[in-house]
Amino acid sequence: MNHARLLIILLLLTACGQREQAAPAKSIPFKPTGDVKHLMQWVLDPAADHLWDSAGSIITAEGTEDLAPTSDEAWLAVQHSAVVVAEAGNLLLMPGVAKDDGAWQDISLGLIEAGLRAKSAAEAHDAEALFDAGGQLYRVCLSCHAIYIKDDERTEPPVTRSDLEESSN
Amino acid sequence: MSFKQIVTAAAFILTTSFSAQSNAHHAFGAEFDANAPLVLRGSVTRIEWVNPHAWFHIEVTKDDGTKEQWRIEGGTPNTLLRRGINKNSIAIGTIIVVDGYQAKDRSNSANGRNITLADGKKMFMGSSGTGAPKDGADASDR
Repeated sequence: MNHARLLIILLLLTACGQREQAAPAKSIPFKPTGDVKHLMQWVLDPAADHLWDSAGSIITAEGTEDLAPTSDEAWLAVQHSAVVVAEAGNLLLMPGVAKDDGAWQDISLGLIEAGLRAKSAAEAHDAEALFDAGGQLYRVCLSCHAIYIKDDERTEPPVTRSDLEESSN
Repeated sequence: MSFKQIVTAAAFILTTSFSAQSNAHHAFGAEFDANAPLVLRGSVTRIEWVNPHAWFHIEVTKDDGTKEQWRIEGGTPNTLLRRGINKNSIAIGTIIVVDGYQAKDRSNSANGRNITLADGKKMFMGSSGTGAPKDGADASDR
């Protein structure tokens, strides 16, 4: 085989490969059932609340109450909520839901990671690990809200107590 | 309304009124009023060492001798731990002074900023990055 023939064969193979790569991916018909707020309200918040309510302590004069689940069934329910949290991260990455392919993506992946960490903790019935995963989950929430929720920010300086005392005099 | 419905409704009201757990994830501005700063002095009656925020309940004795129960929202347990506050740092019955901001609904609920102990030791108990006022209490704001 001379060099010219070899070159032609290589060019043809390359062209075929490019055509395969360029073939459009089959579009998946996602059908979001609501916006991000709905996703938070109906999917993520209840699951996150369940994780948070399932770890920690209540201390009173009567003693310390440990909030960790006390039965296999209750731990399984926590595991369920942990998977919901993780999958909520995937839902946030869906086309039509994702706001951008930068911080949004990182935060969504962080949510998945926090959910999976909580799932592992629930599988191991490890209350301390579940508590830590709950803390990680909240840091993800804060990161997201700091970037994507502008309504909560104050624009004017806060009133001080001395301001109030002066105005009442 | 059946007896069962009444009991269920009562249980729901009690749960939503007194539990700091559940639905506790919110930004400062969603629940607290930056224009309603307050100072409370009282004894600690209950500590909820939970995510996403720790809660400190105190009993405040008013000038007329009557007592009020207040619940004070703190930072996340993780942030409090980093500042040297753990769930056993403040014993039940300890008298504390809390600087904070009252709830928008004017209930006996507040977002805590600083806690001052009887010996004068002051600790920042709040959260960073929740939209709370930059009032100098949080060193990370400076």
